[in-house]
Amino acid sequence: MFKDLDPLLHSQLRLAVVSILISAESAEFTFLKEKTNSTAGNLSIQLDKLAEAAYITVEKSYKGKRPLTTCKITKKGIKAFEEYVAALKQYINK
Amino acid sequence: MKSESPNLSAEQSLDIITTMIHQAKGNARRNSFYFLLWGWVVAIANLGMFLLTQLDYSRPYIVWLITIPAWILSLYKGFRQNRQDQIHTHLDSISIALWFSFAVCIFTVIGFGYKINYQISPVILLVSAIPTVVSGVVFRFRPLLIGGILFWLCGIACFLVGAAYQPLVGTVAIAGGYLIPGYMLQSKKED
Repeated sequence: MFKDLDPLLHSQLRLAVVSILISAESAEFTFLKEKTNSTAGNLSIQLDKLAEAAYITVEKSYKGKRPLTTCKITKKGIKAFEEYVAALKQYINK
Repeated sequence: MKSESPNLSAEQSLDIITTMIHQAKGNARRNSFYFLLWGWVVAIANLGMFLLTQLDYSRPYIVWLITIPAWILSLYKGFRQNRQDQIHTHLDSISIALWFSFAVCIFTVIGFGYKINYQISPVILLVSAIPTVVSGVVFRFRPLLIGGILFWLCGIACFLVGAAYQPLVGTVAIAGGYLIPGYMLQSKKED
């Protein structure tokens, strides 16, 4: 079961992150951490995996003196998400 | 939330997607600040202008100077809010572009008012209808949509009444177009 589902998205935290980014232009690390109820370490690892696959971009900057990490979804990420949802629909309709 | 979950069912996946998309929804309620600020400022300016006209004061339009602090306050608050926001949605971008274009049009109309025989009020009311209607659609908030239609109707009324009564029509438009929806938006519970 779930053979056709993108393994990169078929994970609670990564799917949650991509779902937030699909409906936003950009989101900060702290926002993602709070809304997904995850730990900073785990979220960091998952963001790296998504960034390596070029599903998202991670930009590091500063907000005043505090470091700021901002994430955005890429076109590739949007396409992967759409395909994931389409595959999901097939499973549900079965 | 765990990262790896091989037993994630299709229903659980859908549940995650819908919950997270809901989290990223824009917060329409905080925009009530701008509607209330501008609602009151413009209502006071309109009424002030009407009273000064009735008193035969030579420069009744001077009352509109109270909009200057309102512009400064709006820009300051908007800039600060933008910096504090941890998430930027497409609706935020639409909203900013829309109200910024609106402000540019208002300044243009005021600047070239002498070219259109100072028929500024009806033109401003007509232009105001656009961002108000679109905001109503963007926030899915019907009172703003109705408020926008009221701006359009008051714009027509403004063309028809004499210059002395235009500020009164403007007051009706701003009360129905900004103040009532603004208070309704403020008291609205987050959905």
